[in-house]
Amino acid sequence: MTINLKTSTVETREQRLGTIIGWDGKASALAEESAYARGECGGCGASGRGGAKARRVCELTGPFTQGSVCSEQMVECQAGNIRDALLIQHSPIGCGAGQVIYNSIYRNGLAMRGHPVQNIRFISTNLRERDMVYGGADKLDAAIRAAFERHAPKAIFIATSCASGIIGDDVESVARHAEADLGIPVIPLHCEGFASKHWSTGFDATQHGILRQIVRKNPTKKQEDLVNVINLWGSDVFTPMLKELDLRVNYVIDMATVEELAQMSEAAATVTFCYTLGTYLAQGLEQEYGVPQIRAPQPYGFAGTDAWLREVARVTGREDKVEAFIEREHARVRPKVEELKKKLAGLKGYIATGSAYSHSLIGVLREIGVQVDGSLVFHHDPVYDSEDRKQDTLDHLIENYGEVEHFTVGNRQQFQFYNLLQRVNPDFIIIRHNGLSPLAARLGIPAIPLGDELHAFGYQGMINLGEAILAVLQHRKFHQDIAGRVKLPYKKSWLAEKDPFALARVAAE
Amino acid sequence: MSKKLKQIAIYGKGGIGKSTTTSNISAALAEAGYKVMQFGADPKADSTNTLRGGEYIPSVLDLLAERRRVDAYEAIFQGFGGIYCVEAGGPQPGVGCAGRGIITAVELLKQQRVFEELDLDYVIYDVLGDVVCGGFAVPVREGIAEHVFTVSSSDFMAVYAANNLFKGIEKFSTAGGALLGGIIANSINTDFQREIIDDFAAHTKTPIVQYVPRSLTVTQAELSGRTTIEAAPKSEQAEVYRALARRIADHTESKVPTPLGPLELREWSAKWADRLVEQERAAA
Repeated sequence: MTINLKTSTVETREQRLGTIIGWDGKASALAEESAYARGECGGCGASGRGGAKARRVCELTGPFTQGSVCSEQMVECQAGNIRDALLIQHSPIGCGAGQVIYNSIYRNGLAMRGHPVQNIRFISTNLRERDMVYGGADKLDAAIRAAFERHAPKAIFIATSCASGIIGDDVESVARHAEADLGIPVIPLHCEGFASKHWSTGFDATQHGILRQIVRKNPTKKQEDLVNVINLWGSDVFTPMLKELDLRVNYVIDMATVEELAQMSEAAATVTFCYTLGTYLAQGLEQEYGVPQIRAPQPYGFAGTDAWLREVARVTGREDKVEAFIEREHARVRPKVEELKKKLAGLKGYIATGSAYSHSLIGVLREIGVQVDGSLVFHHDPVYDSEDRKQDTLDHLIENYGEVEHFTVGNRQQFQFYNLLQRVNPDFIIIRHNGLSPLAARLGIPAIPLGDELHAFGYQGMINLGEAILAVLQHRKFHQDIAGRVKLPYKKSWLAEKDPFALARVAAE
Repeated sequence: MSKKLKQIAIYGKGGIGKSTTTSNISAALAEAGYKVMQFGADPKADSTNTLRGGEYIPSVLDLLAERRRVDAYEAIFQGFGGIYCVEAGGPQPGVGCAGRGIITAVELLKQQRVFEELDLDYVIYDVLGDVVCGGFAVPVREGIAEHVFTVSSSDFMAVYAANNLFKGIEKFSTAGGALLGGIIANSINTDFQREIIDDFAAHTKTPIVQYVPRSLTVTQAELSGRTTIEAAPKSEQAEVYRALARRIADHTESKVPTPLGPLELREWSAKWADRLVEQERAAA
């Protein structure tokens, strides 16, 4: 089933892909239930026609399931991070609480990429009681016009909210009018928090709006050496790598300009560091503009990076250059990996990150000889938008690096995280999102926060991650001291509980 | 070549005969060979009953309440003449948000490309009463219906509801929303009733699409769970509905209405109340 760009609201991941946020078992069982290749699974009944792409995986739902942010915040950290655009939050002011943290991330990202450092440009319509009763459309219109006058942006995004969604504010027509008057794209992004249980729907909402209103509809030229890289704010590792194939990088969405987003339809291919993030946009560019997405494993570890590079080379007609590069990189990296293996022997790691990203990080850890018995991913997409088995990251992990005994899908519930860690007792954890390291620290386990999402990427990523582990283990004594002096706030019965989903199972009975 | 789908919204005060009229229009269009969907946008979820032998069907929101992923086709049931029947459904009175329900149900069908896949000629939305909140305005807003008709009797409360609808249409008209096709004057049996509704139409610069008399045939058909078109195809009333359906099918140009202001409406109704009293006095 193709993605539907005719409607302004993106289909949620639950509806489109069959996304779940609760599951526990062996990784191979989850891969089997997701039934990527077969398109159907026995798990929880047939997919049906309306979810032609969606697979139905049996979901564990408990009294405490959703434990993190919502779609709107993903719109903030994508649409809000475009350098010459602006984001209006059509919401009560509380939805803007994340602006401080997103500003710090944005500023760091700009500095890392060598762009001039600036603040994020968000405006909240500050919906109040009166607006809930009389409607907020006039306020939105005023905000758009104020934004245009103050900042002269090249595009204005509008993030909707639960409040505007419930009262049915006509955001569409306000945006359309303003667009006609101001002569720049004014793009409503429907990201009401109640619509989807997982924030990744917010990635899709942003990408949906960009595909509909910013990407150049009738590209007159083709840039045959340009590759769209769907990325966050991490360091620039793609440029040197793709330069080896004489390819240029078009980084999107974060820290791109509106023009860089518009030219995506002219590129030779689209790649991403993580299919959880990039699947929708890549599929849309392929479907609407014929820009091929790279159908390969994610570029982590030897097997994944080899396969990914070869596919990029094939699609862009650079096969003559790729083998020599792969050979050089293997020769450079392998001895270092062997050295790291000796130093890391006997260590156990645990990964708690986004879904596809975790699949790849587990592989990287196993490449460098670290044992991984468990992982927590915040959601699971049984299939990505391409429906291509070559992108099945979970299957790639199992085929190349073997089973993961305790594979968990859970939405960052602290009380569960305790049992998850107790079950496998790791020497360190790898995370990317805040709020997970304090609990681990109280158990004496240090955390490696991969603020830079590209730290473990490609061949060099194996070395980077190995070195990060060696560095963090220097803190082990400090963490053991913390563990010796603090108590967790849970009851003894819960501290003794072996099953992280015990509450969900009781609720299901 | 793909045909052009025509989307029509029919509004009216609760109990005014809106679902009866809508179902008979759908039935007459189906009888004339068109592919029709009737979309009930009323939390009572009974718009399509007379197209399905008096039977209730599960609504889109019933299905959404049960499961996270819904196949839109599970909420589509065929009725008389192959008409596709859909009920948005909604919460019990006094709880939740029925307006949000309409937004959710319409969005689900659009996202799953149901209208294109079924290759429909007509989608007719049967929408509850006044445009009380944003959700109830969804069928009027850009990209859904092109033409709006209102069912109104000469009863003052029905006229108030119609006037409110005109306000909604006027508001959205500058934003690419649907325009007004006209008034379907229902339960018009006397000259006096006709004069009232004609006068309201003249004040608001709105055409009357059809006068529909109150008829026992309609009641009998409804009691048997059928439309008049199905139950009494040869009746005079069925002809009235067929004529109405033809006019709606042929209708191309809708307009922005000029609703009466609160004071104007009060004065207008006071004038007719006085005349009614006078007339009754004369008769006595």
